[in-house]
Amino acid sequence: MVELPPLTPQIVLGVTAIVLFGVDIVAPNTRKNGLLAGISAAGTSLAAATAVWFLAAGTGDFRFVQFDGALVVDALSLFFAFIVGSVATLVVVASYDYVREEDHLAEFYSLVILAATGMTLMASANSLVTVFVALELASLPSYALVAFLKTNRGSVEAGLKYFLIGALSSAVMAYGISLIYATTGTLLLDDIAAAVTGTELGGVLGLGIVMLAGGFAFKTASVPFHFWAPEAYEGAPAPISAFLSSASKAAGFAVAFRVFTTAFPLDAVAATAVDWSLLFVVLAVVTMTLGNFAAATQDTVKRMLAYSSIGHAGYVLMGLAALQSGATDANSFVLGASMTHLLVYGFMNTGAFLFVALAEYWDVGRTFEDYNGLATRAPVACVAMTVFMFSLAGLPVGGGFLSKYLLFAGTVQAGFAWLAAVAAINSALSLYYYSRVVKAIWIEDPSDDLTLRGTPTGLYTAVIAAGVATVVLLVAFDPVAQTAIHAAEVLFAL
Amino acid sequence: MAGAFDFTAAVPLLPFAAFLIALLVGHFAPRLLPKGGAIPGILATAGSLLLSAWLALTVSQGTYHTETIYTWVVGQNTFDLHFGVLVDPLSAMMLVIVSLVAFLVHVFSLGYMNDEGETGLPRYYAGLGLFTFSMLAFVVADNLLMAFMFFELVGLCSYLLIGFHFREAGPPSAAKKAFLVTRFGDYFFLIGVVGVLATFGTSRFLAVSEGVESFPHLAEQALLAAQGEGATPEHVAGFLDVVGFEPQTWFAILGLLILGGVIGKSAQFPLHTWLPDAMEGPTPVSALIHAATMVAAGVYLVARMYGFYALLPTVLAIIALVGGFTALFAATMGVVKDELKQVLAYSTISQYGYMMLGLGAGGYIAATFHLMTHAFFKALLFLGAGSVIIAMHHNEDMWDMGGLKEKMPVTYYTFLSGSLALAGIVPFAGFWSKDEVLYEALIYGSGESPILLAGYAMGLLAVFFTGFYTFRMVFLTFHGDARTDTAESPHGVGWNVKFPLVVLGVLAATVGLINMTPVAKLTGEHIEFLKDWLAGPQGSAYANIGYEHYHHLLVDFAGYGANESLGVLVPAAVSLGLALAGAGLAWRLYSVPEPVEHTEKLGGIKTVLYNNYYQDEYQVWLAEGVTLPLARAADTFDQGIIDGVVNGVSSVSLFAGGRIKRIQDGIVTHYAALLTLSLVALLVAFGLLGGWF
Repeated sequence: MVELPPLTPQIVLGVTAIVLFGVDIVAPNTRKNGLLAGISAAGTSLAAATAVWFLAAGTGDFRFVQFDGALVVDALSLFFAFIVGSVATLVVVASYDYVREEDHLAEFYSLVILAATGMTLMASANSLVTVFVALELASLPSYALVAFLKTNRGSVEAGLKYFLIGALSSAVMAYGISLIYATTGTLLLDDIAAAVTGTELGGVLGLGIVMLAGGFAFKTASVPFHFWAPEAYEGAPAPISAFLSSASKAAGFAVAFRVFTTAFPLDAVAATAVDWSLLFVVLAVVTMTLGNFAAATQDTVKRMLAYSSIGHAGYVLMGLAALQSGATDANSFVLGASMTHLLVYGFMNTGAFLFVALAEYWDVGRTFEDYNGLATRAPVACVAMTVFMFSLAGLPVGGGFLSKYLLFAGTVQAGFAWLAAVAAINSALSLYYYSRVVKAIWIEDPSDDLTLRGTPTGLYTAVIAAGVATVVLLVAFDPVAQTAIHAAEVLFAL
Repeated sequence: MAGAFDFTAAVPLLPFAAFLIALLVGHFAPRLLPKGGAIPGILATAGSLLLSAWLALTVSQGTYHTETIYTWVVGQNTFDLHFGVLVDPLSAMMLVIVSLVAFLVHVFSLGYMNDEGETGLPRYYAGLGLFTFSMLAFVVADNLLMAFMFFELVGLCSYLLIGFHFREAGPPSAAKKAFLVTRFGDYFFLIGVVGVLATFGTSRFLAVSEGVESFPHLAEQALLAAQGEGATPEHVAGFLDVVGFEPQTWFAILGLLILGGVIGKSAQFPLHTWLPDAMEGPTPVSALIHAATMVAAGVYLVARMYGFYALLPTVLAIIALVGGFTALFAATMGVVKDELKQVLAYSTISQYGYMMLGLGAGGYIAATFHLMTHAFFKALLFLGAGSVIIAMHHNEDMWDMGGLKEKMPVTYYTFLSGSLALAGIVPFAGFWSKDEVLYEALIYGSGESPILLAGYAMGLLAVFFTGFYTFRMVFLTFHGDARTDTAESPHGVGWNVKFPLVVLGVLAATVGLINMTPVAKLTGEHIEFLKDWLAGPQGSAYANIGYEHYHHLLVDFAGYGANESLGVLVPAAVSLGLALAGAGLAWRLYSVPEPVEHTEKLGGIKTVLYNNYYQDEYQVWLAEGVTLPLARAADTFDQGIIDGVVNGVSSVSLFAGGRIKRIQDGIVTHYAALLTLSLVALLVAFGLLGGWF
């Protein structure tokens, strides 16, 4: 009997991208949106399903080291492969309607799949080289995707800004990696961990670690590397915004979790170089506060969601901020809680952006006022949007309530009650701007000329699927949380 | 075979059914409702009366009955909350009293409400039905929480009935006052109930079986343990650790909290102020409130949990002193009132003071006895007053009456019977019970608990005033010459008025004979029937937990010891003499053809008495001068500081959000610069922190 390679999800995604190119080479001039979207969705859902299967089969209980330690497969990488795979599936299904009128569809889908491949590889990267390469593999297609609407000035401008900030961040990160290499003489995470203990070049190492963290902060849209996010999310096609703010962010966290817990054990690094958990405490507080405060004053829904996405990055950063040397159980719990929140967030945030995609498809406008009375025309989608908004705010209509609760509880348990309190205050503030959307769609009266053009099957399917997943995660929360905490335990079990 | 106990729940539920009929039929098909709902009410209360009598017969065998009807909160690892019934001699006696008085009041209402052409009768009878139901359910409650719930329902019903004539100015205001003042007391009661449940994990009055304990018994065990015998029950010990009090202190606090509700409902000083105003309600309602339901509920509650109070000498002394003081205090105010019902109102307050005195002085039997006799003679007096009011075309001023004796003989003789009972003239009912209350206070006071003597002295003095105001009322109303045209030719009353009067008149004259303690002591005859009945036959199941048990508790825990050397004749003669002296003074002053007011002779005291010792004034001052400014301050704090903080937070958020929005100015070079500067700042900060340089 043939055993599948542990990297099957990544391989599936890579092959799918190549197949998409192949189809385009064979038949370059025919309209084949359905075929391309079908192939993409099949590939991404297959990747997600494989990840779930591997997790269920216990593949993640061990570390499958690939390519001499350059890549690794464990529960963490499979968990994030599932997140990326399922978000990518929702995105390509929604894109079927959204990009129907555009040119270069094959390129669009294959770029999405390539970015997804990069993101899943980020979750598996076990060497700073593969970290950097995977990160670039995820980033470069993203730049192109943000600028995909070539005749739309906003889209092109957003793509350019994203690229410039991305280039700067990559440079900072590459420089950080070089400094770490200079100190330790290796790029493999396990070997770095061995070398940092008792290093005399603490200052150089610390410099390298902070700059590396900057690279991850870019990917996760954390302060101060967040400047690209509002512009890029707003300018990009809405499904791409969903993809970047959910999957790309999750992958950024995946690689950050692995690099910091594996390569820089806190008990060794805190004394000699830098107490990176303190760094993340600072980043978490600033990121969540800035994100939520800025979201509260936005006029357009999409930009509000962009800032709320920054706010959520702040919550997830608590998973790194609350880590402490020696407290393995509490560490696993809080890190697992972060991962759980990312998974739940993957569905509810993607769903929210896809609702915006739906609104853009209908051309109703961008501001809160433009959404007035949408529920009278599209009640089903609005129910789903309400679930997303309240779940994002942390009300018990979706899994967001439980994942936030788990995350805050984990933070308190790790001894950072004040941090959890800051997060709770932010969370309360977030209810204000999320409920603005709900108020607009349900309570306000629609303008007289509000008519919606058609019911796009793909977008509707994706929005409703995300809504159902969000609600299901409320009732079926326990296995997810257990898996995430188990993944964190595997990570710490080195 | 189905016994009486199987029908216990039907006793309260019959009036409830009458309530529903009056309410629903009265609303949807008023024409189908005979006599505006009176007939269903009469039938239901008659049914309750028969069942209660059957229950009373059954418990006289020395059995008692507890049953859990419905558990409405099932606790995991903690106590349950349930509705249940408890039928023992005490509750059976009370059931008979309540259903009898309710029945007679229903009949009387035919004459007072229907024949007088009142409107809104279904509402009236629905209120009466609900009132009777609440009181009966309160009486059979087997736990304190259920008792509290029906206690509240009784309060609500009295609010509804006092405010029956809601279109006039007085009744709604009186109803609100009754509701608020009793609510003030009930607030403490509620805390007490919660305290009892938290302390003991149960609020049952009587233990049902092994493991299903009653809270008085648990308290007894805890106090025994404090004296070094046995162990404190686990739950109680755990909670006492939490509150950090000695068991004696903590139980006294609980007892006083519950007493708050009692003082409010039974109109004891200082929460008596609602009761005179409650005269705004229809007279039959006053009869029901004063004789059997609302006001009786408080005293009944103390008797119901006497096993708890008997453990607490401090609380007993407070009960006795409050009772004695209220008895005297209210009696003096009754002396100067001009309106028939006002005099009766103050006499009610005073008489319930006697009952409290009896309970506090260890006279469980005496107080219960007085509760019963008072129920009959006070119902009689109110119904008699109602009859007079019908005759006088709803004029209640006694100075407008006079000479009604010849014109309404039935009312006169029954009213006289009630008055003799109230004044305590031998051999009418009130003499025996009041004398026993005073006697108990005297023997325990001159025995081991001298403080009770103060209560006794006040109670004794009040006897004189009682005799005076009672006969002042009788003479002004019925004797002399008619002072107005209405009194000259009064309105006749029908059988439905006379029948209840006759029944109660006979009872008021004779019911005292069932417990003639002085005669029993003098002759050695075994004629204390009520005592035997309440205590249960020797050796029966109830005998060990009823009166005998309370008596042991009083001796063991409260340190009550009787001075057995006192005879019964002299104290009885003293109180009778005082009552006769009061009555005689009234006769001297007012039994003349043309009586005049003598209040001027009181000088300055008159003003004080007319103003009821300024009780209302100081309570209004408390509300307006203290509570209102406090509430205003709290409101200012809430509006200004709490809301200010909340508003401040939101405006700061929005302002800060606006600033952040401005940083995001869309120019990518600015972003790059900010990003780099922030990174440098981070590097410098962590560099300094980590000692890189």
